[in-house]
Amino acid sequence: MARMTRRQVLKAAGVTAAVTTSPWWLVGKSQAQRAKKLVFWHQPNFTPLADELQKQQVYEFAKQAGLKDGDVEYAVVAGETAQPKLAAAIEAGNPPDVMRLYESNVQFYASGGHLLDVHDLVEKMRREPKGIFDSALTSVVYKGRAMGVPLAVNPWPMHSRLDLLEQAKLEYPKTWEEFAETSKKIQSPPRLFAFGMCLGLVEDTTDNVMNLLWCYGGKMVEADDKTVVIASKENEAGVKMIEAMFKTHKIIPPGAISWDNSGNNKAYQSKQAAFVMNPTSIYAYLDGNDKDLQKVTGLMPVPAGPKGTVNQIDTWAYGAFKKTPYPELAKGLLEYFMQPANYDKIIQSTGGRWVPVYKRLFDSPFWKEKPAFKHFIKMAETGVPVSYAGSPTPAAGEVLNTHVVPKMIQRVLVENWEPAKALEECHKRIAEIYARHAKG
Amino acid sequence: MRSISGTRRALRWVGNGLLVMMLVWTLVPFYWMVATSVKKDKEIYGFEATLVPRQPTLANYTRLFAKTPFVLYLRNSAIIAISTTLLSLVFATLGAYALARLRFPGRALIARGLVFTYLVPPALLFIPLFAVMSVLRLVDTHQGLVLAYLSFAVPFSTWLLMGYFRSVPVELEEAALVDGCTRLGSLVRVILPMSLPALAVVAFFAFTQSWNEFLYANVFVNSVEVRTVTTGLTLFIVEDVFFWGPMMGASFLSALPPLVLYLIFQRWVVKGLTLGAVKG
Repeated sequence: MARMTRRQVLKAAGVTAAVTTSPWWLVGKSQAQRAKKLVFWHQPNFTPLADELQKQQVYEFAKQAGLKDGDVEYAVVAGETAQPKLAAAIEAGNPPDVMRLYESNVQFYASGGHLLDVHDLVEKMRREPKGIFDSALTSVVYKGRAMGVPLAVNPWPMHSRLDLLEQAKLEYPKTWEEFAETSKKIQSPPRLFAFGMCLGLVEDTTDNVMNLLWCYGGKMVEADDKTVVIASKENEAGVKMIEAMFKTHKIIPPGAISWDNSGNNKAYQSKQAAFVMNPTSIYAYLDGNDKDLQKVTGLMPVPAGPKGTVNQIDTWAYGAFKKTPYPELAKGLLEYFMQPANYDKIIQSTGGRWVPVYKRLFDSPFWKEKPAFKHFIKMAETGVPVSYAGSPTPAAGEVLNTHVVPKMIQRVLVENWEPAKALEECHKRIAEIYARHAKG
Repeated sequence: MRSISGTRRALRWVGNGLLVMMLVWTLVPFYWMVATSVKKDKEIYGFEATLVPRQPTLANYTRLFAKTPFVLYLRNSAIIAISTTLLSLVFATLGAYALARLRFPGRALIARGLVFTYLVPPALLFIPLFAVMSVLRLVDTHQGLVLAYLSFAVPFSTWLLMGYFRSVPVELEEAALVDGCTRLGSLVRVILPMSLPALAVVAFFAFTQSWNEFLYANVFVNSVEVRTVTTGLTLFIVEDVFFWGPMMGASFLSALPPLVLYLIFQRWVVKGLTLGAVKG
């Protein structure tokens, strides 16, 4: 092989450096090359009507703001793929102007400095007659400022087969102990297990387990978002109750150990479970696919433990991204969405999937006439996030996404660990996560 | 002699048994997909898993075609996959010919670079590529996706063809050059006709890779007008609810084009893969 001269080596090195680094300095330029003035990423709702209305509102606003249809990009992004897509867009410096964000993601992106401050908008919403539910604010407030606009409260009621209770001449159980007894009377395994509690290594398991533990006085972290308190006597009592329901009362299907997030949905939709704790995605599914089952489905508060009934809620919010070249348009769109008249149309069109953040919208006959929605206002008022008593911080998001709590419950149910030992291990892991996030 | 033929027969039986197992292993998921696509929701979610649909229905397909832009997704996938295939064939042929036949500095380096380029996983490339697409205003366009797909289709295809071209006797080409052919002429008239199996492999590879690609399609495309089948499938999952019937119908239909393509070019593809095209 011929020897290369110094000049040739330098040339080759220069070309290589330019080729390999060019994409990265192009990142800085990519935002400036954007062709559209308003970019909205829409994640589909359960009802085509809600999707259509949302689209209409985006274009209505654009028209009012003096934009042409061609200035607007309305992209439909599947929920499952939204996060990786958003991560790539942020890295490339080209995120959407506005999109819907799930719970802890607001604080996650706010802590990274990606979101516009929308405190003024949220304050305006709070000044509406009767105001908005405080529970809707926990996920959007970061360092005292609202960095997202709360879109909807998402209660996790106990979807309950009222027809089975009626056939057995039983009332909906008031406590978890009653729940176990009632369950044994209405189930007929293996075709029908009473309680479709999610116990797989997935997010819904953390939600289901924590919801029960709260009723026993337990919690994951204190309100200071620093002190982890998962290894407690209260949580131990709650875990023992789950263990008893699974091993002694046998009211939870054994296969629930390997369920994914849709496992409890499928169990209820196929009439293989009489009770499941889940957001109303199940109810919304039944609305379009199984009206008969929907008619006999009650959306009940979870049974009480020694500390009473605590219901979970999660929240969706809109986030506006700082990279937008037109922040006034992004915030304008949010304001337009949240005008109560516009907002109410979207919320009602979801058929109960979204619960409004404005208290006064509950005065509408839509929420009063259906018995299934009877408990929603209380759930929206008093519901707590999965990170209770803390707020949905990025640390809480990591606990949820890394399935620390599901691993704990599987230690007890599958590996037969003592609840106290499993909680101790869980405590260490959660404490590590919170400590790491506290360091930044 | 008898014992040897007995051993052979036994080995043949074992071989056939393994083949049957592999066939079942391959076909059962496909069958399950088809069967699920013609079941009603109640049967899909029922207590018993039914191997044969009890009341077959085409409702999922009706929904697919009447209520979703599935045909548009298919069209987009076809445009992108066919364009990628044709461009890959052109670029890879020219590149492979140059690397196999011409003498120029850095030839070996480029040839090795092709392999390394192919080995870089898309998960590392998609963010810088997204930035490039943004600057070129190719985000959310068919052209952008074709360009992105060429980044993995061309290196592999070139490498593959390079190996094959080297196996074509150089004397044939020299004879063509002596008879007055140009370089391009000898490539088109001599090398390509002898390399049809390798071209079939390249075409099949480029088509299936771009037809099935998900990551770039997910990141680079936003609008329904440009969305491909793979990303369209994800819209059948809404939060924690899976719409299995239409999703399986869409999966089945989207698996057909590569399958049909393979059946058409099967003879050449097998020949191309076994005659040294992948030997490098």
